[in-house]
Amino acid sequence: MEETAKQQYTDSERARIFEDEFMPHINSMYNFAYRLTLDEDDAKDLLQDTYLKAYRFIDSFQQGTNAKAWLFRILKNSFINDYRKRSKEPSKVDYQEVENYYNSEDVDRQITPDLRVETLQDMIGDEISNALNSLDVDFRTVIILCDLEGFKYDEMAKILDIPIGTVRSRLHRARNLLKEKLSEYAKKMGYKNA
Amino acid sequence: MSHPEQSQQMSVAKGNCLEMLRLILDGEATEEEKKNFIDKHLETCMPCYRTYHLEMAIRDLLKSKCGNHEAPAELIENIKRMIGTVR
Ligand SMILES: [Zn+2]
Repeated sequence: MEETAKQQYTDSERARIFEDEFMPHINSMYNFAYRLTLDEDDAKDLLQDTYLKAYRFIDSFQQGTNAKAWLFRILKNSFINDYRKRSKEPSKVDYQEVENYYNSEDVDRQITPDLRVETLQDMIGDEISNALNSLDVDFRTVIILCDLEGFKYDEMAKILDIPIGTVRSRLHRARNLLKEKLSEYAKKMGYKNA
Repeated sequence: MSHPEQSQQMSVAKGNCLEMLRLILDGEATEEEKKNFIDKHLETCMPCYRTYHLEMAIRDLLKSKCGNHEAPAELIENIKRMIGTVR
């Protein structure tokens, strides 16, 4: 959280900000928590911790700024600090390694597996959810922030503490990885040309 | 990737179209850029046409299947109660 420009809210202002600016994002926040932890109990704990922290640090929140981005940033930091270690996912390869691996390929290479729109429309089960969950958490995160929550590059950069250029390349790779995964599922479903 | 079908009058210059496609998918293009690209460019550029429609289909799936985890009512009550006590 930025330490600059601390406010001094009264108790009633705090209550109002919490109710009117923080609570309306609770479903998006829960969805994000669930997609990060991949576990309902962890998601509940993470959400509760995040809202308590948000209240505790409410003087760092400036009214009129983007409350949703501010909350998402707290949630993501709590996840990294408190949950990532004990997350039930198989232990992750070092992220830098993953990033280097993908950087070693031509970034602008257009990986378009021969996946068809019609094939996707037949994926009425958990395929998309499983495909998303199978991605490394950093790739999964940018897809959620951009495609589900509609955050802009600069907002994602702030939430994730990374430069805008990294947001862009990570999103691009995440989309390609998701397509590759969906294309694998399509092949399993028996689409020859998937 | 080359775009042989792409004509010269395209407002999206050759080589820039994948970049524009990325901006559109990422929600960073202006309304005008988006309209131009979808109404004019996609008709003449097969790689963009395919990628755009594929990505939109994936997004529809994501929105319908991965965005619907609502916070349990009990949890919301809990949070409100806890804030009430720390206050
Ligand atoms: Zn094109």
